[in-house]
Amino acid sequence: MIWLTWRQHRKQAFFTLLGFAVLAALMVPIGLSMRHSFADLGLAECVRKLNDTNAAAATRDGCDAAFHRFTNRYGSLNLVAVLLLTLPMLVGLFWGAPLVAREVEHGTHRFVWTQGVGRTRWALVKFGLVGAAVVVLAVGYGLGMSWWVDPLTQAAQEGRLGLIVFDLQGVVPIGYTLFAVALGIFAGTVWKRMLPAMGITLAGFIGVRAAVEILARPHYQPARTLTFPIEGAGEPQTERGGWILAQGVRNPDGTMVAEDTRIQCPPGGKGPEGRVCGAELGIEPGAYNWQLYQPADRFWLFQGIETGVFVALALILLYLAVRRVRRIA
Amino acid sequence: MDMVLEADRLGKRYGSTWALRDCSLHVPAGRIAALVGPNGAGKSTLLHLAVGLLKPDAGAVRVFGRSPYGDTEGLADIGFVAQDTPLYRDFTAAELVIAGGRLNRRWDAALARTRLAQLGIPPDRPVGKLSGGQRAQVALALALAKQPRLLLLDEPVASLDPLARPEFLQSLMGSVADSGTTVLLSSHLLADLERVCDYLIVLNAAQVQLAGAVDDLVAGHRQLIGPRHDGGAIGGVAAVVRASHTDRQSTLLVQTDGPITDPAWTVREVSLEDVVLAHLADGATQTSHSEWGVPA
Repeated sequence: MIWLTWRQHRKQAFFTLLGFAVLAALMVPIGLSMRHSFADLGLAECVRKLNDTNAAAATRDGCDAAFHRFTNRYGSLNLVAVLLLTLPMLVGLFWGAPLVAREVEHGTHRFVWTQGVGRTRWALVKFGLVGAAVVVLAVGYGLGMSWWVDPLTQAAQEGRLGLIVFDLQGVVPIGYTLFAVALGIFAGTVWKRMLPAMGITLAGFIGVRAAVEILARPHYQPARTLTFPIEGAGEPQTERGGWILAQGVRNPDGTMVAEDTRIQCPPGGKGPEGRVCGAELGIEPGAYNWQLYQPADRFWLFQGIETGVFVALALILLYLAVRRVRRIA
Repeated sequence: MDMVLEADRLGKRYGSTWALRDCSLHVPAGRIAALVGPNGAGKSTLLHLAVGLLKPDAGAVRVFGRSPYGDTEGLADIGFVAQDTPLYRDFTAAELVIAGGRLNRRWDAALARTRLAQLGIPPDRPVGKLSGGQRAQVALALALAKQPRLLLLDEPVASLDPLARPEFLQSLMGSVADSGTTVLLSSHLLADLERVCDYLIVLNAAQVQLAGAVDDLVAGHRQLIGPRHDGGAIGGVAAVVRASHTDRQSTLLVQTDGPITDPAWTVREVSLEDVVLAHLADGATQTSHSEWGVPA
């Protein structure tokens, strides 16, 4: 069974590895140059200093300028990062969906399931081996991307918990890839044709990923709130690298005056016609900035939860797929 | 007599359509049984039920006394070649022989290799690039290497050109003659199998029309020609299978249960083909008439 699986998929495995090698050959030089610039601009030092909330204003301004230069040079790579997000889905499309669907489409299931190996065992060995290979790929991808995207995340105000960078690195790619492959396999056992199975995998993967990301992830842990006054010198004392879920300006009684914004005035600053700062928005004296956020140090906790969610979904789908395999003729 | 395959009121349904219904039959050990019927009669469904690919929706099927669905151990005794001989097209014949060895506990690789060598099949060419006839031979060699006690072949000659058909069947008979393997092979053409089979099952419209040893079937049917027949009993006739009438004369194909002595009838012997065609003619076409909205 193991020999058969290897013989059937070796060409596909070769091309997958080739694809990854080409990708690595492109990404590694970019990553190295990014790290050089990061060091040359003294950003490592800045990150260390800015993590100290009592950093001097001069340090902040200098560092912000350096961060800007870095972001200007490499900011376009965020697009590359978005493109790389699709890799787990592609693995699901090309490894998961054809696994059963291709056999049925070519009729070879009638050959292999009438040999001396039961189809449950066939399914378990096949899903297991492909799953294991895919996990190895995903670990490589997760580690590689953590290394590659690190300077970009450090340079951004929003840290590793940010929407796209969180999904690229650490252990979550393992969950996503396993889920994509399991979804592909399951779709293949239901529709039994490669193209419909791939289409369903595509739609299902995007749908579930978006739903978890938007609806579930912000609530893995109760979010923290941060309030700070409108009037104050320099930047507010917000935590670097936190994932800001919502923010706004609230009146002293707690009602939201202006959503998705924050107001910052120098001490004693006056607006037009000598009114109090922000008066035209209708804020009352004593109003304050309000922020709902997930702190940066929850990164690994969130990675663990998110991976767990997707691995659990993958296991459920694989269980259903094995059950369906028993009924295909 | 030992029964290799027994079906008892076996049924299989796809949605609301019965692909096979109330199918009761048995295949005795050591026979070469032909499963004949028009396309869509349920032949493949019956074979898939026998090899455990399908689960019955009604009744039961037993192969060597075991229910084949989900029975991995029982599979060792059954060799199966599906319709269109599906094989991994990018595998070479030699690799398929290795694959079979990995998938089966009992596996005679030497037998498969010898067979394929005798047939002149290249071992190192992907089977997808072989001719249909060669591919059918590879599939048969793989099925025989399991040393099965029952060999099920679904339309084994359909993809072969007419010249290759007798050749293929001859090589099949050669290899099962000594081992006493029971063979059940299907075709929509009786002519393909007539020369090799000694047992016949006729399926039509999801039901068994006729089953029995070829000799008994031929001996048990007669053609009668005589004066116009009004449907009354005739001595020695068990059932009228098919009747055609002119104004003054009737031609009947009947199942006999004794000698026909009535001098009004001219009695003729029939061929196997006559018997099969007579039984196929009364297949159900009622449903399609109503589906097309035309009078029957």
